[in-house]
Order: sequence, then C-alpha cells, then structure tokens
Amino acid sequence: MLLTLAWRNIWRNKKRSLIIIAAIAVGLCCGLFASATMYGMWDSMINTTIDRDLGHFQIHSKDFEDEKLITDTIPNFENVLNTLKTNKYVTGVSSRILIEGMASSAATSNGVRIIGINPQNEKDVTSIYKQVINGSYFTEDWKNQIAIGEKLADNLGLHIKSKIILSFQGTDGSIIYGAFRVTGIFRTESSIFDKSNVFVKENDLQNLLNSKQISNEIVVRLSSVQVVDSVYIPVKNQFSNLSVKYWGELAPELKLFNDMLMTQMNIFLGIILFALLFGITNTMLMSVMERVREFGVLMAVGMKRSRVFFMIMFETISLSFIGGITGVIMALILIQYFGSVGINLSAFTEGLSQWSLGTRLYTSLPFSFYPPLVLMILVTAVLGAFYPALKAIKLNPANAIRTY
Amino acid sequence: MSLIELNQVSKIYDETIVPIRAVDNVNLKIGKGEFTSIVGPSGSGKTTMLNLIGGLDQPTEGKIIVDGTDISTYKPDALINFRLHHIGFVFQAYNLIPVFTAKENVEFIMLLQNIPKSEREKRAVEFLEAVGLKDRINSTPAELSGGQQQRVAVARALASQPSFVLADEPTANLDSVSAESLLDLMEDLNHKHNMTFVFSTHDQRVIKRAHRIVTLQDGKIKKDEMNPAHAKSEA
Repeated sequence: MLLTLAWRNIWRNKKRSLIIIAAIAVGLCCGLFASATMYGMWDSMINTTIDRDLGHFQIHSKDFEDEKLITDTIPNFENVLNTLKTNKYVTGVSSRILIEGMASSAATSNGVRIIGINPQNEKDVTSIYKQVINGSYFTEDWKNQIAIGEKLADNLGLHIKSKIILSFQGTDGSIIYGAFRVTGIFRTESSIFDKSNVFVKENDLQNLLNSKQISNEIVVRLSSVQVVDSVYIPVKNQFSNLSVKYWGELAPELKLFNDMLMTQMNIFLGIILFALLFGITNTMLMSVMERVREFGVLMAVGMKRSRVFFMIMFETISLSFIGGITGVIMALILIQYFGSVGINLSAFTEGLSQWSLGTRLYTSLPFSFYPPLVLMILVTAVLGAFYPALKAIKLNPANAIRTY
Repeated sequence: MSLIELNQVSKIYDETIVPIRAVDNVNLKIGKGEFTSIVGPSGSGKTTMLNLIGGLDQPTEGKIIVDGTDISTYKPDALINFRLHHIGFVFQAYNLIPVFTAKENVEFIMLLQNIPKSEREKRAVEFLEAVGLKDRINSTPAELSGGQQQRVAVARALASQPSFVLADEPTANLDSVSAESLLDLMEDLNHKHNMTFVFSTHDQRVIKRAHRIVTLQDGKIKKDEMNPAHAKSEA
C-alpha cells in the first residue's frame, strides 16, 4: 500500500512527471547515442586497422623490434605456424617478409615498406584483396607482380601493368633491385597506408634475396577481438623467445585513442548524469514542497519518518527508472538503426582517410555498457532524492498541517 | 484515572524578543468518554494546547500524561509511534490522502499499525458504513463533498481504535447541514462506544453539543464548565 501510495503520487502531476521522465530519457538517449558514435568510430578504426594489415596479434623475432632488419627472422617459423593453426580460435595465419626499401617509377621514387606475402594465406588475415579497386589481387601467372596503394600509384604516376623498381638491402648488405609489374591497385581507408606499403609474393622476394624460406612477421587472425587475451597470452608464454604482441601493443595510438575515448565517454555521461541530478532534485523538491501539509498529516497520524523518506526515494527511483529505461530503449533503437545503415560522412572523406576511417560511420556500443549506466541513473536518483526527502522528514507535523 | 492530564503545562515561543506563552501553566484533566470542547478567541492557545495533547508539540514546562504515559519527554520518533497507537486526528481541512479512495484512506493508519489486510478491509468497510458512506468507499476525496470527506476523516481516526480523538476545528469548512450531521455522528459514537472526543473550536454549533467546555484566554484556562444545555438534556 505504501508503494501504491508512492506510485500514485508520481502520477498526481502527470505533466511534471512526464517532463522529468522525458528529460532523463532524452538526456540519456543523446548521451548513449553520442557515446555509440564515438565508440563506433573507434571500433571502425580498430577493425579497419586489424582488417587492413595488423591482424589480432603478430609474432616477430625479438631483434626485429629494434631495427626491423630483413635478417631478423623468426626461427622455426613453420613450427610456430603449425602450432597456431591448431588453435580453435585462430581463423587465419600468414607469414610475411618485411623490408624497408624504395619504390621507383620512371618519374620519381618513394620510400615504402615491402611486404612479401603468400596471397592465399594473406586472404585469411587481412582484407587487402577486397580493397583492390583496379586490376586484380595476384591472379596473374607471371612473376614479380606487385599490388600498390592508390596514393602511391598517383605519386609515382603508375597504372596497371606499369613497371616499378623496388630497391632494398639484401641479407648480405648489398643493394638489390627488382623490377615488378603493377597488377593491382588498392584503396584502404588510410591514405598514409596506401602511400607507404606495397605487397609482393614472398617467393619473388626470396628469389631476389636468394634465400631459403624466411619470415619476419606472422600475422594471426582470430574469430573475434574478445578472444585475443585467451589466445595470445598462452602463445606468448609458449614462444617466450619471440615477441608476441596484440593489436593494442602494435598500434599504441589506437590503444591511447581507446583509453581517451573511454575517459571522454565517462566524462560525457558524468556531465549528463550531473545535470540530471539537479533536474531530479528540483522536481522532487517541488513535489515535496507542494505536499508539505500532506507529509505533516502522514507524520501526525503515525507514519514514521523513515517510511516517509523511503516513500520519496521510491517515487524518485521509479521516475528515474522509467526515464532511464525509456532512454535506453530509445538509444538502442537509434544505435541499432544507424549501426546498420550508418551515418554518411562522405563530405569529410579526405580528413577521415588520414584517421583510417571510412565514409560511413556505424554506431555501436557494447551491451556491457548499459547495466552500469542504468545503475548510475538509479544512484543519481537516490542522490537527487536525498535532499528533498531529508527536507520532508524534517518538517514539524504541527506546522506542516497548517501549511496551505 | 484521567485519560488526559496536563500538569502545569506551559508552551513558550521565544521567537521574538519577548517570549510568548502560548499555553501558560495549565492544569487540565479529561476523563474517558468525555465530549469536550476547548474554546476561546483566536490566539488564545487552543491549537497549541491540542497539539500538546496530541503529541505534535512538546511542552516547555510541565507534564502531559496520556493514558498513563508521560509523553512530554518523548523523542519525535517515539511520539510518532505513540500517536499511531493512541490518538485519532480529525483536521479542519480533512487532510485525506488525495490519491487514495475513501476505503484506502481509512485503511492507511491500520496499515501503519501492521494490522493484517483482511482485518483492515473489514474494519474500513464497517466504519465507512457507520459514517454513512457505504456507497462511496471507492470514491477519491476529490469525488466527495466537504462533509463526506470529514466523515471519512472521522472513520479513519476511529478505525485505528485510538484512546481518544482530537478534532481541530472539524466543522470550520462545512455548511450547517454537513456540520450538524457530522456532530450527530460524533455524538453518537461518543454515546455508543464511549469514545473520547476533544475539540478545538470557536464554532457555536460544536460548543452547543459539547458536554464540557474549557475556555482559554491568553494561554490560561479562564473557565472550565459542564455545558448547561447538555446537562439539562441529560437530566
């Protein structure tokens, strides 16, 4: 009956209750949607980077980290590859040869990272093959094919079937030159990547190096980003002589961005909750001040102060809970909708490509984000109700009864 | 033994430079089954005295003994509990809970007394029937007239089975027909159930019906007499 009383009290002034519910719902919905936009942006950057070349984690020799020399190869890399392939979460592994070199056309030259790959294995770990906009992805028969980025092609004035000279230092320190023919031009979300990376077959590179099969890098792709820790940590422990790093360590700027994003989202939601706190306090204070006589009567006839206190708390928590749930549902619908159709950002293509972002932003927010938020709203409601409830129980019944 | 006993009770408000003795050294005893009116002009201390008897206020000096218990030193929470189990209130402005029906209003104090639901409902219906509102038990206060609301307030006060009922200007907001009807009801309850009623009023309709009239002036009892009209009718 006390809960019934509290519940009916909420709806005594429908307009006011609906306004505060709407304020909570809209505030929360906007906060969540803004967070989902930021999170979606981060998610897109991460996935783009992971998809493009990073994979979920990579393995190198410990020496490779210092100077990134061609000679810093992974010992017994076939053994590592075979071990990884037995893990149920591993969906793809690819071995790469990495060389820093120069790419030259008849017109000019550019510093590049030459990535020697097995095209079939690479398909399992990165999405470069999907991003070929001109030509094909290593489907020709001839030797010394090369896939280059659109930006590099523009810089060097290259087209499909154009010849390109790669020069780099061999394992013995000598400079090696190799002539390649452009068979594919790719365009990723990052113009910087497109300008500074070229893909060739590892066999062609090994022929030029005149070496046996070698590997500087093993890229591993997992079934989802959530299982990274459960796979890479055991691998790291198993191959302690090697450097095993997950995407956050390989791209610390993304990790930093992630941390900043989370902090920003928390601050943003904190501001919204802080504003709600004042809104709730104001509404409940108005509600209490309008019912001074009634509280006086309740206490006069024998209602304990603690019951009056909890009645006001219940009213506030109910109001906030309705507003909170409404806001979460509204936000879920919006996030779901823009998560599937995306937000068109094509007007900012140039700037976005610098940040490895596509022209459509897909909103997303992990489900784990919602329960703590609903809890935070309830905490805000309790804090917001505290002062009005305290004011109500401090009333002197004799005086309160005579208030009009 | 008296049901209510005030021993040299004073209530002093010192909000101004000169302290005001709203109730000044009052001695009063009210027995079980009395139908007493406390009367006097505005500012004479009627409401303060009723508040003191009802445990809504504490005396500055003296003792208030209700039902054999000295409540003058009770803490606020103890007073709330005492009021819940010993005193029924009827207020000038009815003061029903607007979001509750008549039945729920009557049930409410019993709920606070932790009386089981079935017993609450039974008693609520009984008392609403007794005050002539059997057919309005599901009406909210807004759907009732002033007189009907005050009847619900009386039913609410009585259903909790208090030791006595304090009624502060119960007829002040009622038309003469409703006021007479309400007084008939309370007089009847007084006769049939020996229920003690203490009124604070300056309404002549109430004063005429009272068995005992305590007249206050400047916080002091000026006169304490049996109502001659009532004495005559009893005789």
